[in-house]
Order: sequence, then C-alpha cells, then structure tokens
Amino acid sequence: MSTTVTEPVASPTAESPLRATARIPERIPGERPTAAIPFPRLLLVELRKMVDTRAGRWLLIGIGAVIAIALTIMFFNESGHHRFEEYLTATTMPQAILLPIVGILAVTAEWSQRTGLVTYTLEPRRSRVTWAKFIGAMIAGVAAIGLSLALAAIIHQAAITLRGYGGDWSLDNNTLLGASLFVLLGVAQGVGFGMLLRNTPAAIVLYFVLPTAWAIVGDLVSWLDGAASWLDMNRTMNALFVVESMTGEQWAQLGTSVAVWVALPVTLGIWMLHRAEVK
Amino acid sequence: MIHVDRLTKRYGPFTAVDDISFEVRPGQVTGFLGPNGAGKSTAMRIMAGLTPATSGTATVLGRAYGHLPNPGRHVGVLLDASAQHAGRTGREILSLSAIMMGVDRRRVDEMLDLVGLTDKEAARRVRNYSLGMRQRLGIANALLGDPEVLILDEPANGLDPAGIRWMRDLLRGYANQGGTVLLSSHLLNEIERVADEIIVIGHGRIVAQGTKDALLSGAGTYVRSTDDAGLAAALALEDVSVSPAATGGLHVDAEPMTVGQVAAASGVVLVELRSGDSRGLEDMFLELTAATAREEVAA
Repeated sequence: MSTTVTEPVASPTAESPLRATARIPERIPGERPTAAIPFPRLLLVELRKMVDTRAGRWLLIGIGAVIAIALTIMFFNESGHHRFEEYLTATTMPQAILLPIVGILAVTAEWSQRTGLVTYTLEPRRSRVTWAKFIGAMIAGVAAIGLSLALAAIIHQAAITLRGYGGDWSLDNNTLLGASLFVLLGVAQGVGFGMLLRNTPAAIVLYFVLPTAWAIVGDLVSWLDGAASWLDMNRTMNALFVVESMTGEQWAQLGTSVAVWVALPVTLGIWMLHRAEVK
Repeated sequence: MIHVDRLTKRYGPFTAVDDISFEVRPGQVTGFLGPNGAGKSTAMRIMAGLTPATSGTATVLGRAYGHLPNPGRHVGVLLDASAQHAGRTGREILSLSAIMMGVDRRRVDEMLDLVGLTDKEAARRVRNYSLGMRQRLGIANALLGDPEVLILDEPANGLDPAGIRWMRDLLRGYANQGGTVLLSSHLLNEIERVADEIIVIGHGRIVAQGTKDALLSGAGTYVRSTDDAGLAAALALEDVSVSPAATGGLHVDAEPMTVGQVAAASGVVLVELRSGDSRGLEDMFLELTAATAREEVAA
C-alpha cells in the first residue's frame, strides 16, 4: 500500500513558513483606553468597507455608470434639448434602484460573510455599528446625488455647447428635495430590510419583489388597490417627482408607507439585531 | 481575567452549556478541552458578548464583555478564522480592525510580520488563503490591540506541526508576561502541552477542572505483577483501594512507592509499576468523545 501525503488545504502557492521561535508582540505604549470607540471612527470603517471589496467597489462604480448612461441617453434624445432639472430627474430612478443595495450589503455582509464575529467583538454596542452603517449608506446616497448633479451639469453644458441648445439652469429646491428624498428613503429602506433579514439574497429579492407584488395584488384585489395608495412606496414616492404640488393627503400617504416600510423595518431590525446570536 | 458563573445556554430543549463556572487567571494558559459539540464555542461566544446567555454570567476583566470600552484593546478574540469577507485582503482586514481600535497602522505590519505573512500574502484576498493562513491572520487580528486577555477557539486548527509549536511558544510567552489566555481544543495532546490549567467540558457540563499537574497525577498507580490477586489482597490489608484494570493489572489508589513497598513485603514480583499519569484524564476524555460520536451516528 502506498502512502501519499497531501496538504490538508490546497493553497495556490506555497505559504511562507512561520519563524521557528515565536516572538511576543510588543506592548503598545501608554495606558489601555477607557473611552469607547469614537463614532467617526466607526463611520470611517463602515465607509471603507463599502469600497474595499471588489463587489462593493463595482456596485458603486455601477451606480456612477448608470447615472452617466441615463444622462447620455437624454443627451441623444431630442437633440439633448432638456432643462438641467430634467437631466437631473432622469438620474433619480436608476439611483433609487441601485443605491438601496449599498444599504442592504452594508448590513447583511456582516452576517452572510460572517464578519460580524470580528465587528461585534470590537464594538459590542451593536446599535452604534448599525447607525454607522445607516449614516454611511446615507453618505453614499448623498454622494451619488452630488455626482448626478455634477454629471447633469456637464451634459447640460455639453448640450448647450455642442447642440446649440439655449439651456435652462433653473433648479427648483423642491425638485432637488423630492429627488433626494426619493433616493435616500430607498437607501433607508434597504438598510431596514437588511437588518430585518440579515441575509443578502433574501433582502435584495424582497426589496425588488415587494413593489411588483403590490402592483399585481393591487390589480387583482380592488380594496387592496386602495390600501396600496397608502402603502406601496413606489406609488407614494412618485409624488416626490412633483413635490411642489404634493397635497396633504399625498404627504400622509408617503408618511404612512415610510412608517411601514422604512421606520418599522429599521426599528424592528435594530431590536432583532441586538438579540441575534452572531455565529 | 475571565469569570464564568453558573453559565447556561439553551436552544429550545437542547442545553448547549449547562451551568458551568470557572475562572481564568492571568499569567496562565487555561485550556478548554472537549469533544466537538461539547459547548466550548458557545461558551466562548457568550464570553465575547456575541451570544446571549440563558442564565448565569460571564465577565472579562471584571465587566460583561459588552461593557468593555474599546474591547479590542483589552481582549483579543479569535472565534472562527474562516469568518472573514472572502473578498478582502489580509492586510485590509487588519487595517479595518486597527482603525476601529485606534491603534497605529504600523502595528498592522508588525502583526503581519509576527505571524509570518509576507507583504505579498497580505495583499492577497482571503478567499485564496489556506486554513492555516486564515488562522495566522486571525491570531494577528487578536493580538493587534495588545490585549491583556486572549480568547482563542481552536487556534491550532489548520496549522502545521511547526505552526502548532509556534503557537504554543507564543501563548506560553504571552502568559509568562502576565497575560490571561483561554484556548479551546478538542485534542488532549495539544492542551496538555501548553496549558497550566485544564477545564474539561462534555455535553455542556464541566466534567473536570484543575491544574494540569493535579489532573494528570491524581490517577493513582498502575501495577502489573505475576500474582495480581495476591498483590490486591496485600494492598487491601493496607487499606488501599484496588480495582482490576480492564487490560489486566491493577489500578491502585496510592503512590507507586507505597505499592512497591507492599509488593516487596509480600514477595510479589512486579512486571510493571508506574503512576497513572494522564490515563485517567485520557480515559475520561475518550469516553466523552465516544459518547459524542455515538450520538452523531444515532442522529
């Protein structure tokens, strides 16, 4: 009988050996800290985690690309004769579709990739980590809005310069507010779904299926259609595109749907995340 | 310093950790020994604040883990070396921890060097790491914050023999400098070689605990002779308890010298005489392991 010796775990290249005798790590000079980790440091870590993996980086690059593509399409549509505001509005929808995934991933990666084992031992006050993720995802959302403003300005200027368009730089604060709310509420919803499900595919699927489900069920069951105008965020948020003409009822509808699909998942999610076992 | 007091963790009808109490003292390496599924990892996760206990308490450095300020600078934890984002590089994983703990980034290089990960290896994504490399990265991560206490779950898993010896030296040196070390293993030999104190756990309960010397020596004497029955009778006259060993010979609850003297006095020829050494601990451990293995087959 022949004996073959194989490595227990295949590694692509030979590993560097450990030194023969172990050194004891040097002490870090000074006293050990008695203060909690400052919040900005947690936020910095969460922002960094969004870009330090290929998946995260490409998601963000993809969002930038989608914004650019939407603007390019606008540029070739009707000879690019669109007001600056119209260019801006065209970027809102693609952002709103992709940015919530940033929020979802920020939360679910800790569980799907099991990095929570390290994260939550370094900061056992899990709600602080959660808020860092929440604010981090919001910062990503604001950055995307900023990028779309800049790109919309460039394309609009290009239309003026290259296409002989007169141009219209007017930007209603309400439009900006409506578009920003549209995007950021989506991000918040993503974070909430992520916390509730703590599982990447499940959270993403639910996030995308929910609006379609509303549309289908609303069509089939008439009384649910009435409920949908209060609960289907896709519908209630559409009013934000014409935020200046939003009625009190529309605001109430938006508020209700946000309470159900954003505030509730976030609150419940934080509560559950605190009790969850990190494995 | 780790204090565990009447700690219990239940999952429905299953009791993973059953009313365990122990103390891990500074300057010592404490081995947490038990077969797979005995409750070691659950107990360690509770100590690190990741799993809520059903009842009882676990404190590290006098506080519940969740109340330690910036715990990474006080307690180094390695619970599962594979629990890392496969898409991050080794260096990035340490850098994230360093930012969180607020330690100098130079410390990342020092730790990578300490565990022998080259710059090239540290720049590779963790998905391309062997278990041994992940384990080394995990140890680097645990040591990053210069902690007083180390909690390591199966740290030798996946390390080669040289790595296991390196780990032993490291933990020994660490404890000698006054550090508190708790490490778990399902291998008796591994624990035996590094631990000062041993806690044996099986089915969620502590079945033995004490200093290594006490656990290994308390096993009496094993003796074999040309006339075991005669020797047993002679020993019984001396008020020493004797039981026949399954493999022949006798287990005697006395020092080897006492047994030798009795044998000499009664003229019995000895074939073998030695202290029971780790026999008791090993027997107990094998029994535990066998029971667990049987349950796994049945399940």
